[in-house]
Amino acid sequence: MKEKKYRARINWGKELRLLPGYIVVGAWIAFTAVILFWIFAASLSTSRDIFTGKVLEFSTGFHWENYANAWKDQNVSVFFANSLLYSTVSCAGVLIIAAPAAYVLSRWNFRGSKTIRIGLVIAMSVPTIMIIMPLYSLAVQWGIKGRVLLMALYIMLRVPYTAIYLLDFFSTLSRGYEEAAALDGCSPARTFWVIMLPLIQPAVVTVTIFNFLSVWNEFFMALIFTPSGDATPVGVGLLQIVNSMQYSHDYGGMFAAVIIVFLPTFLLYIFLSEKIIAGVTGGGMKG
Amino acid sequence: MRKNKILIACFVAPTVITLALMYVYPVVRTVLMSFFRVESLTAPTDTWSFYGLQNYFTILHNSSFKTSMVNMLLIWLVGGAITLTLSMVMAVILTSGIRFKKFFRAAIYMPNIVSAVALATMWRQYVFNYDYGLLNDMLQLIGLDKFQWMGGDAKFWSMLAAFIFGSVGYYMLIYISGIEGIPTDLYEAATLDGAGKVGQFFRITLPLLRGIIKTSITFWSINTTTFFLWTKMFSPVNTEGSTIVPVVYLYDTVFGGKGVVHRDAGAGAAVGVVLTIIIVAVYVITNVLIKDGDLEY
Repeated sequence: MKEKKYRARINWGKELRLLPGYIVVGAWIAFTAVILFWIFAASLSTSRDIFTGKVLEFSTGFHWENYANAWKDQNVSVFFANSLLYSTVSCAGVLIIAAPAAYVLSRWNFRGSKTIRIGLVIAMSVPTIMIIMPLYSLAVQWGIKGRVLLMALYIMLRVPYTAIYLLDFFSTLSRGYEEAAALDGCSPARTFWVIMLPLIQPAVVTVTIFNFLSVWNEFFMALIFTPSGDATPVGVGLLQIVNSMQYSHDYGGMFAAVIIVFLPTFLLYIFLSEKIIAGVTGGGMKG
Repeated sequence: MRKNKILIACFVAPTVITLALMYVYPVVRTVLMSFFRVESLTAPTDTWSFYGLQNYFTILHNSSFKTSMVNMLLIWLVGGAITLTLSMVMAVILTSGIRFKKFFRAAIYMPNIVSAVALATMWRQYVFNYDYGLLNDMLQLIGLDKFQWMGGDAKFWSMLAAFIFGSVGYYMLIYISGIEGIPTDLYEAATLDGAGKVGQFFRITLPLLRGIIKTSITFWSINTTTFFLWTKMFSPVNTEGSTIVPVVYLYDTVFGGKGVVHRDAGAGAAVGVVLTIIIVAVYVITNVLIKDGDLEY
């Protein structure tokens, strides 16, 4: 209400003209909010209350044990730990592989440098279905499976995007840094790790956020390479929980699992939305 | 200079190996495999027998594949028209000078950030639920009968609606950044000349956003051809004709699903190649049809 008065004093006419816009956007967001709110309420409710439409009454109190059940009995703890492992390891691994290449490609033209650049851009848009089948047979042939396999795949999957993204930023750096470092007797490799990479820290942070989100939410490869078992990450794990719902009928537990899977990236987004949105529209993609 | 050569080689080698191992070799092998008779993915290459275009004929005569292509076309055409229009509407609204723009923008983009599996579960288990779902509650509130959102053919449109809802935010962001790149004096001049808001949109905004619209069509095409997760979440156990898409068909054919008698990796590879050709074709066609408006302003 306070907002409205404030608005009226500034420019009532303008706000009125914008009213249809407010209604459309407001309805859209209200819809989202209702869904999230209800799911959260249901995660603290019982299957019985959910089916009788009494989710918001909490007649038997808040059932926080749904979360404990999901975490332990439904194996969400395992899925969660796996996803965390995949996301963090691949974020670090992809930087170690892609950052040096991005640096070198931005600094020197050498035989094959153009091919590598074009290769990276094309690789970014190769659909997963074109690579998944040979990767599967390679993995079987080499006897790699489980967590190690997924970590390796996720690292390699993110290399093209990361290299291209960082390349743009390295090209903006002055060569003066390297010259100064060389005068001080710093080796080129050391110059890269100690001076050049920290200089593009904001870009590294942005690309790492995107890599983290993308690995956390990855589904297709996870489904193919860990159909069941210890290495399952959250996405595939949640699918398994939903599928087993027809036997367990623990709807409260399922919605708790949904919230657990949903929360990490949601919280990350609440804190980093400005940076993420700037990253989507700025760097990686150009109109 | 010699020192630099060693540095370059060491720095670039892991990326080159990644490209070769993760992209070049698999793509080449997938393309080759589509011309051979290969039953199991793990079959060694010396057991492959040359099959010509037979794999392509096999999938083109398969009724599941045909259904999946029709579904994909519907998602691309109907879903694309709705998504890109809605995104444009949202982008225009958010750049029209309304308050809380940053919050609105972030909230609409949010579904792109959170786990799509969680999102799809929310839609399937709550919004579309027959007994306690949001939509049926709303129908009953206005005195209408409940509807089977997840039944028969309705399932496809329910799935598409949920997918569109999650996609709008991304294209909206692209359009917003495009609109914000258009200098405001163009609009001021148009207003002075007596052009209305609608006229300004069709005569200034749309033409200047050509390049960005082209990009968004390409992205939408890639998203549609690689459509998988939502079908898997809406028909998790058994693949159904109403929701099947080519990648799900590929998944069932290669990795085995219910009703798949014998696996056929060669046919799966052919599906992959067909989809890739479609993506490239759409890219080329949009590039020819929509000339890049590299206008200086």
